[in-house]
Amino acid sequence: MAHDSEYMEFLPRILIIDDEKRVREGCRKVLTEQGYDVLMAENGEIGIGMIEKEHFDVVLLDLMMPGYSGFEVLNHVKAIHPETVIIVITGYATIEHSIEAMKKGALDFIPKPFSPDQLRVIVAKAIEFTRALQDIATEKTRLRTLINHLTDGVMTTDAQKRVVLANPTFQRIMGYKGKSAIDRPLAELTGNEQLNALIEKTLNSEESKFVEHVEELVILDEAEKKEKIYSAKCLPFRDRLQRIIGSITLLRDITALKQMDQMKSDFVSMVSHEIRSPINSVLAQINVICDGLAGEISDKQKNMLDRSSQKLLALSNMTTELLDLAKIESGLIIMEKESIAMSSLLNEQADFHKAAADEKQIDIHLDLLQPLPNVNANLQNMEEVFSNLITNAIKYSPSGSHITISASIENEYLRVSVKDTGFGIPEEDQPRIFERFYRVKNEKTRMITGTGLGLPIVKNIVESHEGMIQMESTPGSGTAFHVYLPVL
Amino acid sequence: MSDKKFILVVDDDPDLVESVAMKLESEQYRVEKAYDGVEALEKIKAEKPALLVLDVMMPRKNGYELCDELKKDPQYKDIIVVLLTAVADSVTSTSYTHMDGKTTLADDFIPKPIDLDKLLEIIKDNMEA
Repeated sequence: MAHDSEYMEFLPRILIIDDEKRVREGCRKVLTEQGYDVLMAENGEIGIGMIEKEHFDVVLLDLMMPGYSGFEVLNHVKAIHPETVIIVITGYATIEHSIEAMKKGALDFIPKPFSPDQLRVIVAKAIEFTRALQDIATEKTRLRTLINHLTDGVMTTDAQKRVVLANPTFQRIMGYKGKSAIDRPLAELTGNEQLNALIEKTLNSEESKFVEHVEELVILDEAEKKEKIYSAKCLPFRDRLQRIIGSITLLRDITALKQMDQMKSDFVSMVSHEIRSPINSVLAQINVICDGLAGEISDKQKNMLDRSSQKLLALSNMTTELLDLAKIESGLIIMEKESIAMSSLLNEQADFHKAAADEKQIDIHLDLLQPLPNVNANLQNMEEVFSNLITNAIKYSPSGSHITISASIENEYLRVSVKDTGFGIPEEDQPRIFERFYRVKNEKTRMITGTGLGLPIVKNIVESHEGMIQMESTPGSGTAFHVYLPVL
Repeated sequence: MSDKKFILVVDDDPDLVESVAMKLESEQYRVEKAYDGVEALEKIKAEKPALLVLDVMMPRKNGYELCDELKKDPQYKDIIVVLLTAVADSVTSTSYTHMDGKTTLADDFIPKPIDLDKLLEIIKDNMEA
């Protein structure tokens, strides 16, 4: 029974309609003891009068009565209170009558004579049933109210692209006026070809694959006479056998964000170009000097120039990473997520970083549980995450260290760990390593160049995928980063 | 005229042009310099280079425009063009439009900051091809 239902505070109300006083009284006694609010009527006419005045959860109805017959009462109740549960009491247990009553909408029947236990069980079942219906109805109303008041557009279709639901915001965005769009073909609600194609694509997604299609739509707002930009997210939903039975589309107005983002991008792009150009030019000059093309230089001079180069290179990279971070944080990069096979991605990453690792005689070992489940993520983002973690492991480990990339399933998550046997992170620095520009500086790491933006980018990406990242480190023996990503 | 291969280096930053030129000259290439797209075109008309090291962001005529013009001109379309691109140049567009849009006409790319040794490698590869 729905014990958490909010109706439990009201006593279930039961009406007994029976012309036999003995039966009425007997039932009332049993049911009142159960804590129900019980009323009685001695014939159909009185019963109908009471039902018209107030609502009952359950009606116990004798079929054979003088005056109004039980069937007439049954029809009447169903007409005015369709959600009321009716249990038929049949004097002589004829199957035909009971079946006919149930065809007309009775939930169950109880043959006379019956024991108090039989009555208790059958009424309890009826109450449970009506509560469940009530819960569903309330949930529906609540959901509808919620959806109708969202500032985002929401629209669902069935597998045949007929509209099942379209909230007022969605209809306004599409400029739809007129009759209810429910049950009509999608094309009647919106002529937007891109959106139609997006929904088509979603409905035709591969059976077992989780997909989420995201696109930007430009739609003319007829009331305001200007174009608006929407982020359209489209997902399929499936039945128990994983067959696609419909689609759900969410539209969010991102016009203002896009404009701001554009202004910011233009500005950052301009500034970053102005910063990078001179750095790049100085780098090239140093390079030429180091090559001895501008005259001979001493080892000491070369060494110093090499260090300056590295610093400048880091500075140049930082402007790039700053841009990335700003983009991720603004959340406006429309990320196409797809089902990604992590084992091949991690293998590629290990290969890619092998050259840098070899230079320091560091070996990268992959320890992957097979087969790894797929995750729903943006490919580029995932590459960035693991590339960053592996690069860090290489940079912050002395020659001859070991890096282990492992993966396993933990609850609903795929855990990927990048573990090194490097310098480790001093305890006092540990709480701050995900902060922007924060870098661990001690005698071991002093000469390592970096921007202090790698880990913040990683954390941002992981969190934007509904995942999390954890770090474990022991100074002097190594660090492990654990990335948790939700499994499909 | 010597038989050294002739390369034109175009960038609006004279220091960068100078450094690239020094590097290339040390490798037995003959180098001419230009500081914007219009000047570059004049230099090309005066003497056709085998290869062009071309910056994207420049005043007067940018690298994309110059590259386009050369590749559409039967007389110059065989000049090998190596574009200098900076990631930041493509910020307002996505990486896709960056790759399949204006830049496809170039023969090769090298990102800024330029690794001069890598540039040399790219130039050698393209000259031999």
